[in-house]
Amino acid sequence: MSAEVKKYTMAQVEALELAPGTEHENLEGWVPELANEEELRQALEKAFDYRGDVTLTLKSGERIEAFIFNRRTGATLADSYVQYFTPNAPEKRKISYAEIARMEFSGKDRAAGKHWEDWVKNYNEKKAAGEKNIALVPDRLE
Amino acid sequence: MAIPISQMWTVSTYVLKKKLTGQKRFSLTLMLEPLFRCSLACAGCGKVQYPPHILKKQLTPEECFAAAEECGAPMVAIPGGEPLLHPQIVEIVNGLVARKKYVYMCTNALELKRRLPEFTPSKYLTFSVHLDGQREHHDFSVCREGGYDIAVEGIKEAVKRGFRVTTNATFFDGTDPNSVRAFFDEVMGMGVEGIILSPGYSYDKAPDQNHFMGRARVRRLFRAILSNRKPTWKFNMSPLFLEFLMGNRTYECVPWGMPTYNIFGWQKPCYLLQDGYVESYKELLETTDWDQYGVASGNPKCANCMVSCGYETPAIIDGFGSWKGFVAMVRGTFSKYPDAGAQKLLDEAAPHEPAALVQIEEPANSLEETHV
Repeated sequence: MSAEVKKYTMAQVEALELAPGTEHENLEGWVPELANEEELRQALEKAFDYRGDVTLTLKSGERIEAFIFNRRTGATLADSYVQYFTPNAPEKRKISYAEIARMEFSGKDRAAGKHWEDWVKNYNEKKAAGEKNIALVPDRLE
Repeated sequence: MAIPISQMWTVSTYVLKKKLTGQKRFSLTLMLEPLFRCSLACAGCGKVQYPPHILKKQLTPEECFAAAEECGAPMVAIPGGEPLLHPQIVEIVNGLVARKKYVYMCTNALELKRRLPEFTPSKYLTFSVHLDGQREHHDFSVCREGGYDIAVEGIKEAVKRGFRVTTNATFFDGTDPNSVRAFFDEVMGMGVEGIILSPGYSYDKAPDQNHFMGRARVRRLFRAILSNRKPTWKFNMSPLFLEFLMGNRTYECVPWGMPTYNIFGWQKPCYLLQDGYVESYKELLETTDWDQYGVASGNPKCANCMVSCGYETPAIIDGFGSWKGFVAMVRGTFSKYPDAGAQKLLDEAAPHEPAALVQIEEPANSLEETHV
């Protein structure tokens, strides 16, 4: 949700005709600097919101491809952790913020290009070309 | 009211028991998402945008039963993803029915007709079929031409086989209220038990953030749709929640009323916001800072939400928790809500053209005044 809403009073919110939505960032391919603790925390918060896999490089040198679905933040990095699934393991895993040295938004952003306008444009182009049974299909499970 | 007496009795006694025992927070419906995989790719849906390895994951029947038992809610809705893609969905449904849970299986119905012989009709089982309006509107909404006809085939077959069936619609900005009312006529003509509906909401995981109504527009749309009701229309929802949508009463969000469980765990705080996960229902109730959610909290993520997962529970508790609420609920069940102002809204709305696709207005992203 954009910060713009925050300045509205309750009465204004009740009178809203259209709702300002969240501004989604284009994060695919991003490698945050992680120059300090705050940057690491902010990057992991973005990873929690990201609809794709990220690659974590640990201070031990181990690399993990992960879909981060949860985070718990504590007072220190050692007290904070993310929970994730990897493509090749069935169970949930977790890792402390303190163990993370590098992060890359390496996986495809699965929410990108899924806007209503994208569908309307796609539909109109196909319709104009005379196509029948026009549809969007789910991504392949590869 | 379309809801059977036995279900109403179960829910009402459950609510009264919770109130008499002084339980502050309790759940009426478990939102059980056994998988996120779907056979549709609706633009703007924030429920299915995951990498393939997440889409391949699914809850086991045992995990589903454990969640239902831990939560204790008398009703279980099974959305997703598309539940019929789960290879053990029949086992999951049968297990929940055996536990006397009123199950609402939410499906796009693309596979419903073919799969129906695997299910057994029961007062505990309802197929809640996703239909977002008349043929052209639904097909455009779910981004698939022909989707409506397939779903309707499934509905008719399910009704024929003696299943409880409802339709389940979400309405976004640009919805033509006259078309929605014609849609109600159509679906009631198919023999469904009732209609379920909800306004769209710009939850932040939805990839599309531009086509959601603010609260003023939601109230005006639903006032136009739900006033001056036809006697044939039945709604599988609390009449007081419908009055809330029409702007006739106010409720605060009750996110704990419909908790969500999926492959990630128990979702904080509600079905649409994903602010994190915990491992148990108890932990969800005890560790979520509930005051941080709902319009009254000032949380901007909740600013335009009027969705049933937050606002139907207080309506149900209101209806079964006091004589005043009960009388209002009974009155609402039988009222046609005559409203000349609502009729004027319908008359002023663009004339319904069956062949026209949903037209979405460009968002202004600015604060506008309400003009009723």
